[in-house]
Amino acid sequence: MKKFIIVNSFLILLGKDVHAAEAGMPQLDPQYWASQVFWLVIIFLSIYVLIDKIFIPKIRNNIDVRKDKISKDLESAKNFKEQAEKKLEEYNLLIESAKKDANKILSESRQKLNEDMQIKRAKIQKEIDEELNNAEKEIQKFKNDSSSKINMISEDIASTLIKDIFGEELNKSSIKASVSQSIKDYESKNQ
Amino acid sequence: MAANPMDQFKVHKIGPQIEISGIDLSFTNASLFMAISALLIAITLMLGTREKRIVPGKIQLISEMIYNFISKMIGDTAGKKAKPYFPFIFSLFIFILFCNMIGMLPYSFTVTSHIIVTLTFALFIFISVTILGFVIHGFKYLKIFVPSGVPLILLPIISVIEIISYLSRPVSLSVRLFANMMAGHTMLKVFGGFVVSLGLIGGWLPLSFSVALTGLEILVAFLQAYVFAILTCIYLNDALNLHH
Repeated sequence: MKKFIIVNSFLILLGKDVHAAEAGMPQLDPQYWASQVFWLVIIFLSIYVLIDKIFIPKIRNNIDVRKDKISKDLESAKNFKEQAEKKLEEYNLLIESAKKDANKILSESRQKLNEDMQIKRAKIQKEIDEELNNAEKEIQKFKNDSSSKINMISEDIASTLIKDIFGEELNKSSIKASVSQSIKDYESKNQ
Repeated sequence: MAANPMDQFKVHKIGPQIEISGIDLSFTNASLFMAISALLIAITLMLGTREKRIVPGKIQLISEMIYNFISKMIGDTAGKKAKPYFPFIFSLFIFILFCNMIGMLPYSFTVTSHIIVTLTFALFIFISVTILGFVIHGFKYLKIFVPSGVPLILLPIISVIEIISYLSRPVSLSVRLFANMMAGHTMLKVFGGFVVSLGLIGGWLPLSFSVALTGLEILVAFLQAYVFAILTCIYLNDALNLHH
């Protein structure tokens, strides 16, 4: 009875009477209303339970797993990036120190080379100087020797000449004096 | 002339007569299409959750998209408190959506084009939300009829209007879905009838209309499911977070 009253009041609400259903809208025919509600409740309830107990937890789990995976991946990517940056820094430092070392070695070797060269040059110079000195000394000696020899030769020549021309022997000391006197004259004239 | 366009909404019994205490509860074509919808939902979601891939496949993507869509809708309209009701809204949306979509197939039956089905949903939602409101807020829930910031003189009128609008919620909710589905399907049927009666010469115009209407009806099928779900969320929000 209650159901009948509800049905009728609803039909009045829509401004239709029960007979209109047969003519126009099958929706307003109350014959299968109870059946529709009954089956709707059963079917919707079952699909609701399925969705609530099985499908939604599964989907949620899937989405959570994905989110976790993405955030973890991002984190590890960040870590890797940091590590790579660290490595790059180390590498740069290494390169810089290597460059410094290379420069140091280069300058050191250059200095050493210069020093070596200077030492060798000095040594050679010294040797050359010594040689020169020796040569000069020898020349001097030679000169001295030669002048005394010339004196002797000229004295000899003078005494033989005098002997040949005058046929007599002169005092050796007087010849010596006159030869040295004439050499001195010659030298002073040439100077 | 083709068959009566309202014939598609006729409910007829399938199988034996089932009667419990004098009420006819026979299995009908309406029940059959409810069951088909439910079965399709179960199959879709089963396929969608069978594989747990990080990069989802097509069906997995669909189920996850529906999940995210409903989740966002509830979050936007009813806030965090509505989370326990997520499975219900999800089921409601997907059930109405599938019923509407299956109704688009020719010779099928549209479950949601029957006022009794939509009214059952609407009344259930209305009564549950009202009980929920009173359980959470006690008698303060009556504040929903007394909006704040209204001049004292206008208050009686506004309250009466608020009460009427509150009580008409189940009617508007159910009639909106039912009328949309019924009107659309009737139109499709009428234009289909024109195609047949005008024949090869004049039938092209109603046929093109029919094609366009089918597109529109698919949109409406989705939209009405969405509207039904979002209005449920809004009513739920009223009960959970008393704003007035």
